[in-house]
Amino acid sequence: MRSTSRARYLIVGVALFLLGFSLAIFAAPASIADDRGVVVVFDKPPQRIVSLLPSLTESVCALGKCSALVGVDRFSNWPQSIQGLPKLGGMGDINIERIVQLKPDVVLLEKASPVIARLNGLGIKTFSLDVKSMADEERALQKLDLILGTSESLRVWNQIQKEIMRAGKQLSSGNKNIRVYFEVNPAPFAAGSTSFIGEILTQLNLVNIIPKSLGPFPKINPEFVVQAKPDVILLTESTVADIQKRPGWNSIPAVSKNQICVFNGDQNDVLVRPGPRMGEAALIISQCVQEKMSSSR
Amino acid sequence: MKTRQLTVYRGPCAILSDLNLDIPQNKWTSVIGPNGAGKSSLLQAMAGLLKWSGSITVDEINLTSFARKDLAKKIAWLDQGSSNQEEFDDSLSVYDTVMLGRIPHQGWLHLPSKPDHIMVEQALQQTDAWHLRQRPFLQLSGGERQRVLLARLIAVDSEILLLDEPLANLDPPHQADFLKWQGNLLTQGKTLVTVLHEIHFALRADFVVMLKDGKLHFQGPSQDPRTHQALVALFDGRVRLEKLGNDWIALPN
Amino acid sequence: MQKNYFLGKLSGLLILSAVLVLLGTLLGSIGASWNMPGSDQTVLFDIRLPRSLGAYLAGALLGLAGGIAQSLFRNPLADPYLLGSASGALLGVGSILCFAYLGNSWLDIIGLNGGAFLGALIGVLASLLLAGGYRSSLRLLLSGVVISVILGAANSLFTFIRPDLFQSIQSFMLGNTTLLSWSGVAVMAIALVICLLITLIISPVLDALSLGENTARTLGLPLDQLRLVLIGILALATGCAVAQTGLVAFVGLAAPHLVRKLSGGRQRVQILFSCLGGGILLLSSDLIARTLFAPIEIPVGVVTAVLGGLYLLALLRRTSFGAHS
Repeated sequence: MRSTSRARYLIVGVALFLLGFSLAIFAAPASIADDRGVVVVFDKPPQRIVSLLPSLTESVCALGKCSALVGVDRFSNWPQSIQGLPKLGGMGDINIERIVQLKPDVVLLEKASPVIARLNGLGIKTFSLDVKSMADEERALQKLDLILGTSESLRVWNQIQKEIMRAGKQLSSGNKNIRVYFEVNPAPFAAGSTSFIGEILTQLNLVNIIPKSLGPFPKINPEFVVQAKPDVILLTESTVADIQKRPGWNSIPAVSKNQICVFNGDQNDVLVRPGPRMGEAALIISQCVQEKMSSSR
Repeated sequence: MKTRQLTVYRGPCAILSDLNLDIPQNKWTSVIGPNGAGKSSLLQAMAGLLKWSGSITVDEINLTSFARKDLAKKIAWLDQGSSNQEEFDDSLSVYDTVMLGRIPHQGWLHLPSKPDHIMVEQALQQTDAWHLRQRPFLQLSGGERQRVLLARLIAVDSEILLLDEPLANLDPPHQADFLKWQGNLLTQGKTLVTVLHEIHFALRADFVVMLKDGKLHFQGPSQDPRTHQALVALFDGRVRLEKLGNDWIALPN
Repeated sequence: MQKNYFLGKLSGLLILSAVLVLLGTLLGSIGASWNMPGSDQTVLFDIRLPRSLGAYLAGALLGLAGGIAQSLFRNPLADPYLLGSASGALLGVGSILCFAYLGNSWLDIIGLNGGAFLGALIGVLASLLLAGGYRSSLRLLLSGVVISVILGAANSLFTFIRPDLFQSIQSFMLGNTTLLSWSGVAVMAIALVICLLITLIISPVLDALSLGENTARTLGLPLDQLRLVLIGILALATGCAVAQTGLVAFVGLAAPHLVRKLSGGRQRVQILFSCLGGGILLLSSDLIARTLFAPIEIPVGVVTAVLGGLYLLALLRRTSFGAHS
């Protein structure tokens, strides 16, 4: 009888141990450092989240915790389910009062947001994440994973990579070394290789006429574009689309063969936000480039 | 120059009302009166700067029938002691400042002609300012500026000259010079009307006009004893007149 | 004697202008070079020459407007933008951008340039209406300030509602010489000739104003009409320049001061030289803006402010020392 009681004690002990262990895991507060270096402690995953950055809104949703969002900023507009949430302001006009009323467990915002001190002073937890590049988004997904207690970031990231590769394959059939110019703004401001858009272009094996040394968003001399002769020009709808009228630009192959990609407002949102829809951004670009290059044959 | 039932308006208010003046030709008429009597307004109305009703005639021709340029050629006006030259760095030379007086005579391109240059030189010579001609106007002293402004007035070569307190900021030697130049103008056949508050100068004029409370108090030759009586009455007997040499001085009573 | 100096100074300014335009064809996105691969040579003359000429003409228009503003209002701080032309132009550009999605053919014809031009004119008209005509300089200036503030607030509201347009509007605000074309050059050249000729003809009225407004009137000048004409020219010149290059700062303010020592007081000369000086200032700034960090461009308004400001600083220090001695 001694062996069975010992076995019973063993089983109960292991069970207790396992129970205690899992309780310990769940009960252990998560301490994660945000992008400012401030360590924020979460006793349990936040149930009420306010996001003041569209990329972060989309990331939270991509990790499956859309239902935890109680408020977003003015510019967050994807996915559909968050569009009914209270809008808490935009760049310079965050509505502190409404945030407080929503009683969030955490507010996700960028490092340079001017309301951090105020919110902290009112006892509201803030977590800063700057998402300006692909690497930033990967890191943000991982950190959000830790906060939210999900473990989806790897899956999401792999999904993004797959989409990007698919977009890249679309282009690689036949078109090698396509030179592109992405104009952000008619000043003209161009997207360089180190910008988020530039990274996508690089992933698609497109050659950005703006060299890396000029930084992410240089204000470029239009003469440079004429000399560089890009094959495709990419720009958004709100920037002036009468490219042909620019002095000397009709000597550029992209202009003379009308290989100009114009993106509308929704597409623009996807392109400029480093977020979980990066794959879609790559697809948008590759689809248009592919279309323009093949139509010219 | 004659005025009949002249009423001068500054905005909606009538500053002067119902004036009937007879200003003699080729003589010096001075206009005096207590502060606020409307002396400057009278001159401004004659120069076409204020609205007036009634009639103002020169040689029986009403001023309203004159074209703008002809009026400018007929009547020239000198502003009261100008402190309006602020910091605006205007470095216009004395010569060019006097040349401005020729504007009424110039065509629409306003290019100075030979007669213009001759007149300007004459005007500057007359006021002993010829040696100042290259200097920037704003760098001159008060007395020198007044001289140049008088030269500007002379350059217009008008028949009638209206001067508003021309001696106010000058010291006695310069005042003496000024009176000398005025005398020269009279010998050239001009008609002068000056607003003054220095009684002893006013009584040197040929003719005196006295204004009080926007109405004519008295007008008459300066040497006439009735004029002197009217003058004392003008100031409610608070002054008395004393003769000193050829001049009459007003002293507080 | 004075006449010789005038011709000498005039030719000096004209030669300097020509040299700068020549430099303009030399300097570009790869630093200083005329050597371009092959057929690109004509293309660059299609880009660099109209851009250099355009910068010069825009600067000349702004210098002219600035000279008029300072002489008319007898204020050394006056500039072409003070009667609401700047805020009006900004609002015009914003409106065209905002309603571009409507695809109205009118909007295509007007374009951003037309929008800026019309906006500038409307701004000045509003100031005139508010002041009830040109009854007094102070009244008109105050109306200009009020209109600028109101339209400026409208602009701020605008960028608040459509923040995506903010960057496009901002490039207009800082001034932009990068996209000047031959058609823009033609428009500005015609405007400059007309405005300059008319102004030079009636400029003696500005000299007469130095004696005071009343005295100027007694000299037989139709003061009110002439001042309205000058305001009209101010609006036209500013509108044309702003339509092509955006709101370049400081040129209209600095150019008259930079040439004042040369002009010797007469407004006819002062305004002509302000015109040339403005062209020289803006073109020089454009050359620096595109060469310093080629192919990256500094906003030209930044360079004009630095150049004009430094030169004015030097002038100020020299005169203050002169006054002490």
